Amino acid sequence: MKFFRSTLGYMFAGMIVMTVWGWLAGNYGMLGGFAGAILIIGPMWFMNHYVGLIQNDDDAAFVDMALGIAVTGVARDIFSFWLIGGSAAAGELFVDTLPTWGLVVLGGIIGGVSAALIEKDMAKKAQEDAYEKTAA
Amino acid sequence: MTAGLALTTVVGGFLFPFAIRMMWGKMVESWGPAGGFMAAAFIVGTVWTINHGLAQPLIKQTGAWVDMAWAAGIGLIAATMVLGGKLSKAWTNILAAITGGIIGGFLLAVLIQVMVDNGINYWLPFIP
Repeated sequence: MKFFRSTLGYMFAGMIVMTVWGWLAGNYGMLGGFAGAILIIGPMWFMNHYVGLIQNDDDAAFVDMALGIAVTGVARDIFSFWLIGGSAAAGELFVDTLPTWGLVVLGGIIGGVSAALIEKDMAKKAQEDAYEKTAA
Repeated sequence: MTAGLALTTVVGGFLFPFAIRMMWGKMVESWGPAGGFMAAAFIVGTVWTINHGLAQPLIKQTGAWVDMAWAAGIGLIAATMVLGGKLSKAWTNILAAITGGIIGGFLLAVLIQVMVDNGINYWLPFIP
């Protein structure tokens, strides 16, 4: 049941982001894209992570709905090349995707780990302050 | 891809999970569920403008659409692992994300094929 619930959540978010957002940005430019974040990510976050359609346990690494959205984007383009241009075109597109993919994932890992280390530092500071207060 | 654009692509990937970790939780803590909508607008919306919105965005695309969501998806797993979350307990959700993404992506490809057949192309910037 957990797998089914989560799959549904990731799929729903991915499908709506990878259609409507492009349309908004294509027709209304930067403001359309900004509106896309409110109109799509807002309710999808509410359903998936606030109501909890996707169940993330406290002691598990957090798998954001972003991962579902990310996979949908690549799958959409590779499948559409496959349906329209055949498997050779799809394979070529997949290889072309790898440089951007590698760099974005690298940046993401550095960003996530940096933020986590900063959060640890902030928590340490807060703890020291609390200790000083009780000691005084 | 030039070395410069490779660097901006890495930086674009850095910004998104970093901003989410720094602000999203605090916004929800401060304003409840409305904080999540604020976060959607002012974290995702704002970072989107520089990563994808600009005519020459930070993230340089070379093939299929690599959304900044890749950075958040993988980056947040890495961040929560540093903070003590176990990868071994996250596999169900990771597999669910891959499965859901592949099914969703296939359905959209079917839609796109119909659109191409009928000469409709209404989400222009993202379809080759």
